[in-house]
Amino acid sequence: MISRVAESCFWMFRYMERLENVARLLDVNLLLVLDANLRDQERWRPVLIVAGEEPRFLERFSAAEADKAERVQDYMVFDEQNPVSILSSLRWARENARSIRETISLEMWEALNSFWLWLGEAGRRRFTRDRHDFYSRVKEQCALFHGLTHNTVMHNEPFNFMRLGMLLERANQTARVLDVKYHALGPTSAERESLAESAQWLALLRSCSGYESFFKQASAQLTGTAIAAFLMLEPDFPRSVLYCVSRAVNFMNRVRGQGNPMGERSAAALGALHRELEQATIRKIVAVDAGIHRQCTRIVQATADICDAISTDFFDPPLPRMTEFMTRGELAQQA
Amino acid sequence: MAESEVNARRKSARRTTRRVFKAYRPQEGTYDELFSADGTPRAEFCKIVEIIDSMGTGEFRARQKLADAAFLKGGITFSVYSDNRGVEKIFPFDLIPRPVAAAEWAKLERGLEQRIRALNLFLADVYGEQRILRENVIPRALVEGSRGYLRQVQGIKPPGGVYIHVAGIDLIRRPDGSFCVLEDNIRTPSGVSYVLENRRVMKRVFPRIFAEASVRSVDEYPMRLREALAGVAPRDNPRMVILTPGPFNSAYFEHSFLARRMGCELVQGQDLFVWQDKVFVKTTQGPQRVDVIYRRVDDQFMDPKVFREDSMLGVPGIMGAYARGNVALANAIGNGVADDKAVYPYVHDMIRFYLSEEPLLAQVETFICAREKDCAHVLANLQKMVVKAVDESGGYGMLMGPQAGRKQLDEFAERIAKNPRGYIAQPRVELSTCPTWVDKGVGPRRVDLRPYIVTGKTTWALPGGLTRVALVEGSYVVNSSQGGGSKDTWVMGQA
Repeated sequence: MISRVAESCFWMFRYMERLENVARLLDVNLLLVLDANLRDQERWRPVLIVAGEEPRFLERFSAAEADKAERVQDYMVFDEQNPVSILSSLRWARENARSIRETISLEMWEALNSFWLWLGEAGRRRFTRDRHDFYSRVKEQCALFHGLTHNTVMHNEPFNFMRLGMLLERANQTARVLDVKYHALGPTSAERESLAESAQWLALLRSCSGYESFFKQASAQLTGTAIAAFLMLEPDFPRSVLYCVSRAVNFMNRVRGQGNPMGERSAAALGALHRELEQATIRKIVAVDAGIHRQCTRIVQATADICDAISTDFFDPPLPRMTEFMTRGELAQQA
Repeated sequence: MAESEVNARRKSARRTTRRVFKAYRPQEGTYDELFSADGTPRAEFCKIVEIIDSMGTGEFRARQKLADAAFLKGGITFSVYSDNRGVEKIFPFDLIPRPVAAAEWAKLERGLEQRIRALNLFLADVYGEQRILRENVIPRALVEGSRGYLRQVQGIKPPGGVYIHVAGIDLIRRPDGSFCVLEDNIRTPSGVSYVLENRRVMKRVFPRIFAEASVRSVDEYPMRLREALAGVAPRDNPRMVILTPGPFNSAYFEHSFLARRMGCELVQGQDLFVWQDKVFVKTTQGPQRVDVIYRRVDDQFMDPKVFREDSMLGVPGIMGAYARGNVALANAIGNGVADDKAVYPYVHDMIRFYLSEEPLLAQVETFICAREKDCAHVLANLQKMVVKAVDESGGYGMLMGPQAGRKQLDEFAERIAKNPRGYIAQPRVELSTCPTWVDKGVGPRRVDLRPYIVTGKTTWALPGGLTRVALVEGSYVVNSSQGGGSKDTWVMGQA
């Protein structure tokens, strides 16, 4: 498929995944702050930190604003200058979709376009009137989009790139949420945690839609390390880093199947992260000082690097590399 | 809007049914597409008028809303401003169809085919032997002085000898009911996606009317275009792509629409590159050879090595590949010389010269300002004339003499005096009208018709075409960029 189209497939899903995560994070936080006994700077600021938006926010608003529910939510939902606000992500998802309408299905386009139109009007009213309902609908729109994608396009190359974008973004987001929360709460054990802390651990699980899944494990114990292990290394939980990365490896293999000469670098980088996670255990991770923070940072960095590699391998390969293929005779029959 | 809602509206409409055409009176001095001068429906369209009329204004309005919503949801938009809000406008669509009788269409079809044949021969001649110039049928200076004439393609023969793969010929209907050609668009005519989308929406909101009236389908256009392009490909099993300037181009919707419906890939300049005079597309599997490009990028932007150096939309070196016959470009490069508005008056001479036939389609009397005598006449009668820049389209660079103010007239007089080759003038033609829904009811609004003609190994005209309508009362300008709307065009099947 055309490199630019693959790139749009990839990014469209990264943006959709990103905005869904923001919605979930805000929604969970909304409930959390109601009854968890938190200090002011523990209430809304973490949302900005997870999104990586604290510095940009503080350039425009005072530090006190970062603790205000309305200011932070408005910033994360509708602010056009915030590149990761729901509005911005959706705009870019849609712009990508619009540039590849011939590739995606009509159903996908209509769902995305309706979502966009909704967010501008009815959605804004819903946001004012019933905040929780607003976030639910955002998540529903995302679910609708994913479902339609799964059921209305060919599961071939464009789909593989969509999935790659979604999975890598998800792995990245899970690591970010875990890192920030873990940093704020620190390691803890069931015996000595305060009520506020356990509420926050639960909120962390909910932010990743992992509450019920977590407690279905036989050995589930509400401790920081257990939750970190679950979110990073649980092979069957669809938002765990390991799950996302190992699925991404599958899709990378599909993209590179049938002797595709492209993608050596990205496949290698992805494979390395996958092996690393497969061999990791939570015991080994926490044995190191600030081990979880380090591991999370490593994951965030590695997924970003993989995305870069995918970009140079598939989306924007330098021309010399292109002609190199031809002079090697791999495409001689074409030329 | 849900079906139940429409039903509810329909019920409430019944209680107060007001007939749609109750107050309709055709405009004096023009031809009306649906009604005779005495205000009765034309015999061949009685049934269409009756079905819409009896629907009542309430239901009609509900259906119009349904149609608008369908266009918006589908993102069927024509103008895109690249500001942050991503404002996209829908091309206003009017539900009252513009019918064309079967026999009339058959006549038009023959005339269009003849005209395209002659224009294609003219292009081959101008960029080849130049017989028509040597024999002084058309002044050499006029042709070679045209901005659309490109020396760089002199001597290049496009694959299959086809120059005009897609044409959009603008027709208008005069008060006596005869069609005539207003202008030829044979570079990159747009609008065909609206023809197809208008029909799709129309079928959805008016299923009953289609069941009862016999209207010819427009659906095969993408397939026909695909066949035509495959017919001029330099190799078997060709890879065909559509080249777009990108999502910020106002016709982007159409480019992507055609790619989808033709099963072609949609590419931008950056996706292609030229290596050893062959064109390749960058794919995730490495470079792949491209054989046919349906390009919606203007000539001047196609190759920065040959034309505008600053073009980011084209493909460096593509003209080399084209010259060697390694890639087919549709339409051919350099077609602008044949739809130059100052060359237009000579199309009848071309038909006689190349085909030894009499022209089947009339055209509008045209004064070429480059000719001294014409120029004097134009300047003396400016307030009665429609003046057009020879190489503009889309309703830009135009003067409507009868509606213009003193200042505008003076301004144009000066422009013409300075650059006579740049302008032509025509008497204002009373365009035909068609009943159109406006704020409070139905009124007569002026329309034109742009049929699309596709040429590969053979020539085929899409039955119908884009009917554009000037929504402003009294306006003669139908261009979408100037506040025009569109209608579904119904070519009726043989009764």
